[in-house]
Amino acid sequence: MKSLTIEHLQKIYFDPFANKQVTAIRDISLAVEAGDFVSVVGPSGCGKTTMLNMIAGFLAPSGGQIRVDGHAVHGPGPDRGVVFQSFALFPWRTVLDNVAFGPKMRGVPKARRHEIAREYLALAGLSHAAERYPNELSGGMQQRVGVVRALANEPDVLLMDEPFASVDAQTRMTLQEELTRIWEQRRPTVLFITHDVNEAVFLANRVIVLSHGAVRDDIAISLPRPRSWDALIEDAGFKALAARVLQQVRAA
Amino acid sequence: MNAAASVSPWQRLWGAYVRWSTHYPVLAALVPFVPVVALWAAVARSGLFPPVFFPGPVVVIQKFGTLMANGILPAYLEDSVIRLAAGTAVGLAIGIPLGLLVGLSDRAHRALWPVLLFFQAIGDIAWLPILLIWFGFGLTTMIFVIVYTVVFPVVLNTVLGVRSVPLELHRAARSLGASKARVVWEVVLPGALPNIMTGLRNGLGFGWRALIAAEIIVGTSGIGFLMFDARRAGSVVEILLGMIVLGVLWYIVDSWVLAPIERATGERWGLVTRRD
Repeated sequence: MKSLTIEHLQKIYFDPFANKQVTAIRDISLAVEAGDFVSVVGPSGCGKTTMLNMIAGFLAPSGGQIRVDGHAVHGPGPDRGVVFQSFALFPWRTVLDNVAFGPKMRGVPKARRHEIAREYLALAGLSHAAERYPNELSGGMQQRVGVVRALANEPDVLLMDEPFASVDAQTRMTLQEELTRIWEQRRPTVLFITHDVNEAVFLANRVIVLSHGAVRDDIAISLPRPRSWDALIEDAGFKALAARVLQQVRAA
Repeated sequence: MNAAASVSPWQRLWGAYVRWSTHYPVLAALVPFVPVVALWAAVARSGLFPPVFFPGPVVVIQKFGTLMANGILPAYLEDSVIRLAAGTAVGLAIGIPLGLLVGLSDRAHRALWPVLLFFQAIGDIAWLPILLIWFGFGLTTMIFVIVYTVVFPVVLNTVLGVRSVPLELHRAARSLGASKARVVWEVVLPGALPNIMTGLRNGLGFGWRALIAAEIIVGTSGIGFLMFDARRAGSVVEILLGMIVLGVLWYIVDSWVLAPIERATGERWGLVTRRD
């Protein structure tokens, strides 16, 4: 079953200063199976964030189709959860109420949505931080909340836009391991955008390499799970895959 | 322990003051006025000026007691505060929605922004001549002036606040299932709140001044009227008393109303750095 289908997606901007059309996405077709984890890598300017913004419904495509669970996408919606690079937590809500925000919008009663939020916070080891405000948490903790908030709304697809790019290197590795663990437990459908080749390979079952607004390569990652950096950092299979992806990204 | 590390008597005194005034905020509010009042008393006692022109603190406090006892001061205070509160409430009721509209809609911004800036420039009391012709010497004129004064800082700051809410927060709320209307309530309003508070603070400050000015010109009661009436009677004591009441009242509004709201919102959320 295909959870996310993209057909001949295209995005062309008019640049009023250059007075010409600029092509951000030339032609992308892509299908993501339900329960799969797909990474998208590519050099900056390859159109990966533009693609995610169109799937999320924040930008309208110039051409092509985006379908989630068979339904064409028009504008943002709770069927597509988004995790932002800037975390985008609501500063005026506690961690618990941030996570309960999606259920609240669906009209879930307070007691029940707090129960849901607590359950998801426990999944990421955040139970102790439930009553704190986002500005009282470290960057790594804030992004854990960002991931949990998107998951708690039980979207068909989880869209992650370079979510770990703004935390320090050690925390990033921890977050990557936690994300694989949560994915293995819950099996959400994930489209993960990154410019970090190792991250893309470590997390995904499939890595898509984008270049100049089109798919350049589509590489299956058949590394065993559960995955951990301790096991993979010196693993020959991991190294070979990372080298292959890197080669494609650099040639892009 | 060597001499460099020992605590001087001044440090000892300062340390005691910092600890006590942190524990009892009322000390932090009152102690700085001790030298001011002492200087006032010293100048008044020196005989440099005739007491009728420059009365000392004791006389003013006695006057405060008399005016409280005969009910004039409480009645006038009540009139002034009610006018300010009513004017501010109406000013907020107009200013916040207008600010949301102008901040959120590009069209409204293009259409209204220059007009807002134009009318903002015509200061509150510059309206008095024409208002006196339209509405006469009465409550309508005074309320109009206060509302007018409060609305502009609230609108302009609300617009600023609305536009300072990161795009990502709009997007996060929308992708979590919030409708566009819900985003205004859940994201735009709380995100703009610190700026709205700044607008309210400025608006109240300007409004308070405008009210006193309006009472001096239009009034038949209120603190402004009290002061102007005292001038007619040549009572410097009452004028000074009126001035002190203005200062104290502002202090109360700030520390009992504005500051607690700011502490519970923007500062708590990390949107505004704490003022210490």
